[in-house]
Amino acid sequence: MAEQELVLKIKDLVVHYETDDADVHAVNGIDISIGKKRTLGLVGETGAGKTTTALSILNLVPNPPGVIKQGEIYLDGMNVLEMSSEELQKMRGNEVAMIFQDPMTALNPVMTVGDQIAESIELHQHISKKDAFEKAKEMLKMVGIAETRATDYPHQFSGGMKQRVVIAIALTCNPKLLIADEPTTALDVTIQAQVLELMKELISQKEMSMLLITHDLGVVAEVCEDVAVMYAGRIVEKGTADDVFNHMRHPYTEGLFESLPNLKERGEMLVPIQGLMPDPSELPPGCAFSPRCPYATEACSQQIPKLESVEGSETHFVACRAYEDPKFTLGRNRNGQ
Amino acid sequence: MIKYIAKRLVMLIPVILVTSFLIYWAMSLTGGDPALMIAGDNAKPEQIEQIREELGLNDPFLVQYLNYMKGMLTGDMGKSYVTNKDVFKTFMERLPNTLMLGGAAVLIAVIVSLPLGIYTAIHQNTWKDTAGMIFALFGTSMPNFWLGLMLILIFSLYLGLLPTGGKTGPTSIILPAVTVGFGLAALITRTTRSSMLDVLRQDYMTTARAKGCSEKQVIFRHGLKNALIPIITAIGLQMSLVITGSVLAETVFSWPGIGRLVYDSITKRDTPMVTGSIIMCSILMCIINLVVDLIYAFFDPRIKAQYSKKG
Repeated sequence: MAEQELVLKIKDLVVHYETDDADVHAVNGIDISIGKKRTLGLVGETGAGKTTTALSILNLVPNPPGVIKQGEIYLDGMNVLEMSSEELQKMRGNEVAMIFQDPMTALNPVMTVGDQIAESIELHQHISKKDAFEKAKEMLKMVGIAETRATDYPHQFSGGMKQRVVIAIALTCNPKLLIADEPTTALDVTIQAQVLELMKELISQKEMSMLLITHDLGVVAEVCEDVAVMYAGRIVEKGTADDVFNHMRHPYTEGLFESLPNLKERGEMLVPIQGLMPDPSELPPGCAFSPRCPYATEACSQQIPKLESVEGSETHFVACRAYEDPKFTLGRNRNGQ
Repeated sequence: MIKYIAKRLVMLIPVILVTSFLIYWAMSLTGGDPALMIAGDNAKPEQIEQIREELGLNDPFLVQYLNYMKGMLTGDMGKSYVTNKDVFKTFMERLPNTLMLGGAAVLIAVIVSLPLGIYTAIHQNTWKDTAGMIFALFGTSMPNFWLGLMLILIFSLYLGLLPTGGKTGPTSIILPAVTVGFGLAALITRTTRSSMLDVLRQDYMTTARAKGCSEKQVIFRHGLKNALIPIITAIGLQMSLVITGSVLAETVFSWPGIGRLVYDSITKRDTPMVTGSIIMCSILMCIINLVVDLIYAFFDPRIKAQYSKKG
């Protein structure tokens, strides 16, 4: 993908949370990029550093204790980490908007939803309060909420409705990039599908790119064109959805898929990945996944593996030393291919 | 909403009944004979007996209380044993002074403590925060009357800028108000700080930042309004304490308010004055609490919704 078509490019980002007790290595040098009108799914379990990555893009990592140690984050060629606070304010909500995980707490409880949407418009489009409120009503209609409810407060809405409001706030200024941090995790399954459908529709309608953070592989399959799998602050595998879903290379990705319940063979035991994610303040040497990896060898715990192209592919990359042995394949791939 | 207010006002009746009984009873337990006080040192036993009969002091306690309450029903709180003035009138004459002092003290406290509380919360765990908290600790632990005396010493005696006490002119309220307000400011600063710290961690603050709000807008537009509820509670609680409990400050500065009125009446065994004043104070407390509750509804739509639901 050519550089100029990229909406977002993150280079070697490192973020630590430094407290008196520990130095938490949340993000340890990741590179990701998102093309125009493309949707990247960032997958990983809780604590992998997904949200920290997302907050870094808006330069909103809570400081203290969060410190962005190194890296570059380019939005249309501008490095976010070098922007002045005025430039950041202009960018936030306007060029990049974010949808948060928990709609129950993401809205200000003492402001009407109309005012909360209108605030974004006022900040970036410099129009009168009244016009902004009218526009806010249109946004509500767009996300499927009656205009008359603009003067209601968040506590008068259900969870799914609140997430629709959050989406309206995010999309109101037509950002180029939408960051959605587990947008459906806090919702009922039936509502999840509705909200996803709505997001998909609006994104293609407004020609936006999206970074979708989730631990739900089903959601990724539904929405994303590209996938990056994150483990302990590093990207372990990335590629197109087809690459990662159908030709997976990393043992962790395999583990994620193995642990999904199988609807066709009900009653079968789930196959979880053994062990727990390492404490990010005391990461093991070498590959962080090696203590849990069924294929791990001596070599894995000695050196951190680099992301390398899979069989010369331009899109598909994996960070696993097992492939130094040309005959190695994952258990899942052995029968199928 | 109106129904809710009406309900709260009706609740005043049991409050009045209970407090009046408790106070009347407590006064009867304190001993001492009001008739002796009124008659003076050189009175003959017959004169004293006559006064006792006139005031109904020879009746059993319950009869005395019921007679007193009968008067209350017709709006008559009795007359002071000491000055023979109408209790209600005397109280109302003193009330504006106390309200004025309390209002000025709270105003000073709020002007100082809100910004200070917000400032220390934003700079949590820095030397600025520590300095602010030391100030607050100083404020809470310093006795009111001592601060009052020190202020008199500096501003009245050495500098000669302000009157030492009494209610003589517009400047005479400054020292008592600062004295009462200083302790309040300390308390409200601490409440503001902790409430603000809590709010600063909320998700909607990140949402506001992600929208492109400046830090100032985030804190004042999104943070402060959410942080206000506990602050209003603290101010409301203190307000009732200031009004009914500023005996010390009123004494130090000879401020003619309710606190001193009650204090003087107790020392003189002036039962009607004490009972009447305290009943009025409890009514005042209830009204202040009601006003505080109504202010909540103004700031928090969730509370407002609750009021109208319950009616």
